[in-house]
Amino acid sequence: MLKVRVIPVLLLKEGRMVKTIKFSSYRDVGDPLRTIRVYDAQGADEIIFLDISATIDGRNQLLGIISACARECFIPLTVGGGIRSVEEARKVFAAGADRISVSTAVVENPSLINNLANNFGNANIVVCIDVKLDNEGVCRVSTHRATRITQLKPVVWACEAAERGAGEILLHFVDREGTMEYGYDLTLLSEVTHAVSIPVIACGGVGNLQHFVDGVRIGGASAVAAASIFHFTDQSPIKAHSYMNGAGLPVCLA
Amino acid sequence: MSTSICKDLKTIPPFYDEAIKMKTCSKCCVLETQDSIQFDAKGVCNVCKQVEVKKNTVDWVGRRKMLDEFIAHYRGKYQYDCIIPFSGGKDSTYTVWYLVEVCKLKPLVVSFNHGFFRPQHLENRNRTLNKLGVDFLTFLPSWKIRRELMLESFRRKGDFCWHCHSGCYVYPVQLAVKFHVPLIFWGQPDAEYGSYGYTYEEIQEVDERQFNRFINLGITAEDMVGMLPEWITMSDLAPFQYPDRDTLRALKVRSVHLGSFIPWDPRAMAQTIHKELGWKFDKVEGIPEEYGWEKVECMFTGIRDYLKYIKRGFGRTRHLVSIDIREGRKNREEALSLIEKYDGKRPASLDLFLKLLDITEEEFVSIAISHCVAPYKHDTSKTVKGEPLWDHDQWLDLLGMRE
Amino acid sequence: MIFIVDYGLGNLLSVAKAFQEVSGDKKVAVSRNAKELETATHIVLPGVGNFVTGMRYLNDLELVEPLTVQVVQKKKPFLGICLGMQLLAEVGEESGETSGLSWISGRARRLRTGGLKIPHIGWNDVEIMNPYPLFQGISRSREFYFVHSYCLDCPHEYVVARCTYGDTFTAAIQKDNIYATQFHPEKSRDAGLKLLKNFLSISC
Repeated sequence: MLKVRVIPVLLLKEGRMVKTIKFSSYRDVGDPLRTIRVYDAQGADEIIFLDISATIDGRNQLLGIISACARECFIPLTVGGGIRSVEEARKVFAAGADRISVSTAVVENPSLINNLANNFGNANIVVCIDVKLDNEGVCRVSTHRATRITQLKPVVWACEAAERGAGEILLHFVDREGTMEYGYDLTLLSEVTHAVSIPVIACGGVGNLQHFVDGVRIGGASAVAAASIFHFTDQSPIKAHSYMNGAGLPVCLA
Repeated sequence: MSTSICKDLKTIPPFYDEAIKMKTCSKCCVLETQDSIQFDAKGVCNVCKQVEVKKNTVDWVGRRKMLDEFIAHYRGKYQYDCIIPFSGGKDSTYTVWYLVEVCKLKPLVVSFNHGFFRPQHLENRNRTLNKLGVDFLTFLPSWKIRRELMLESFRRKGDFCWHCHSGCYVYPVQLAVKFHVPLIFWGQPDAEYGSYGYTYEEIQEVDERQFNRFINLGITAEDMVGMLPEWITMSDLAPFQYPDRDTLRALKVRSVHLGSFIPWDPRAMAQTIHKELGWKFDKVEGIPEEYGWEKVECMFTGIRDYLKYIKRGFGRTRHLVSIDIREGRKNREEALSLIEKYDGKRPASLDLFLKLLDITEEEFVSIAISHCVAPYKHDTSKTVKGEPLWDHDQWLDLLGMRE
Repeated sequence: MIFIVDYGLGNLLSVAKAFQEVSGDKKVAVSRNAKELETATHIVLPGVGNFVTGMRYLNDLELVEPLTVQVVQKKKPFLGICLGMQLLAEVGEESGETSGLSWISGRARRLRTGGLKIPHIGWNDVEIMNPYPLFQGISRSREFYFVHSYCLDCPHEYVVARCTYGDTFTAAIQKDNIYATQFHPEKSRDAGLKLLKNFLSISC
């Protein structure tokens, strides 16, 4: 039976890992290569790297880090952040990424999804949707690390992304990110997972292990991702698996 | 409309304790809040099952023979036959005794000093080293660094012992490299109590993977340095850095548990070292006196157990009586009665701890509660204070911290 | 020398690093140079992507014939991974009908999942049918990592492992010296590395 995946998310800025709350107020949380080893040892099913470096130097560091990770980490690595073209994607794959995640670039140029899928296989293209509430409290797709809000509705955009060849959606609840309070937005998550025929990874807001269970049971997610809970609490992927198994979800154990 | 994969799954039912509103093993007393514990369809936990494997499936005669063959590869070939990590507690004392007296090895005994050893421990340690006639190395990191590590680790993970977990694990491996001694012998394997997936069906390899899996709280030295005040640099944290893979591969380091080759029985082993080495039992906060061999070396054991109680709803007594149930030494009723009497008391040692770290009790409890493991919810109104240990008043002087 | 075919598709670095981890002293080469195939002891065809694109790249690089010589005629141990397994078929159904390598009779077709989501992404149990060399030392039911939308249908006698996702499909095959897995052993932790090590212990 296909297992539910538990995926730690690592945010990288200029070669160091950082944590943010709602994409701002960065806090250093460690060395990415060592952290990958930790998550790998702790039974993470995949790793997602999102690079938020502003400089070219930072971007180059990312490629070096991916290659170093590929050398010793034998679980799937998805890399995202600032990928805007097929050529940039090619560099990231060549450095050792197994899958890529794209966000702002494909909102601005949706046909990029088709190009990336044709070149690299649709299963390896993850479209990340940063969801934010607008001034009227309506969920919208945001871009540029949630600094700009579009008129797009997440469900509509998810459907289009799937239609164009995305292999998976990473649904990121920006307003909940780093808060470790309410878990995923289960209503929106459920709408998206029911609307698309491709898997959906939920991310943003997890504060306890029950949130993972709810994300799957109620939200219909195929995979659950988190960052803060693994950095700032005693929880780890292995404990998440154990808890989810106790709740009756199929997961990889030990 | 595509469906999720989790259509018809049922929750696995273990035994449910109404009194404390938590699931518990139907055999021993472990609770659902224990790390990575799992219960099968009959409510039996994975630790009970591992121990059944140990008793019923492992060919201990064969394993003992394997030990002799294994040791033969290393005997007499290096400056020391092996490195033995040593805390002075019952497990490491037994390990040193067994490998020296029974297996006739020449070890280098090494001890990472976390800084809070009790007076009786030091006496036990010195007596052991003298009687066995072994070479001994110890390392104590700077208090200024330790203090920052304890605070950061406590805030971040609800566990102030990162420096101890990491140091005790890394130090022997660093020495293996320095002294060019590839074999490291630990004591009891994780299958004995732990629920992290290690079982008695294999010879557990003590390696970086294990270090990252559940020793270092998910934080390596390279992570930690970015979380500490700027005056602390990577060279200050060098004692906590796991040696790199290529170096260990070149040396062909093997790091195993003695308990993978002989069946582990803490109670019997404590009696053996008491008889053979004069190792003395001691009283520990928060557990019955009959367990006078358990965690006697550290001043802050009681605080660790109290922290566990605040986070998870159980302390060390529940752990110890569960072991006794598995070994057929206690029944459930006796066990629960001891848990009721001993678990969860606020240890007297907490006063010293708060003073050393310069934090208030409110802060301590608040940080601990922030790491609570669902479904347990700690009720501070039910806190009962424990009595100080016999050597409590000596600690400040022993630490050199009385002003 | 372990020859990993670089035909423009596939997570080559991951595959190479995984082989380096288990290869001991053996050299690992990532190459599209047909001449180097002659000195290879083991040949690996990875691949993630599209059947049509995969065959086009192999043809454009003029690798089909040299590979056929070394694998089908000279019978060097061969491992196909993911798309590298599907390409072994006579026909691929992705985006119309395309001829494959035809080293094995059968078709690469879309997964039939009975409503479950496609692509099939994640860790799934692989049921090992019989003790085949590739799975030595790996327990009979084990999780491996899958990421695909298509699978290979081939004669039953070549199927050494299966997986169920809605429907049951071929997870691994063996035909003489030709081995292939639908899942990614280079991404499947210790079990995957063990499989790669087993593959390397097979000689010509």
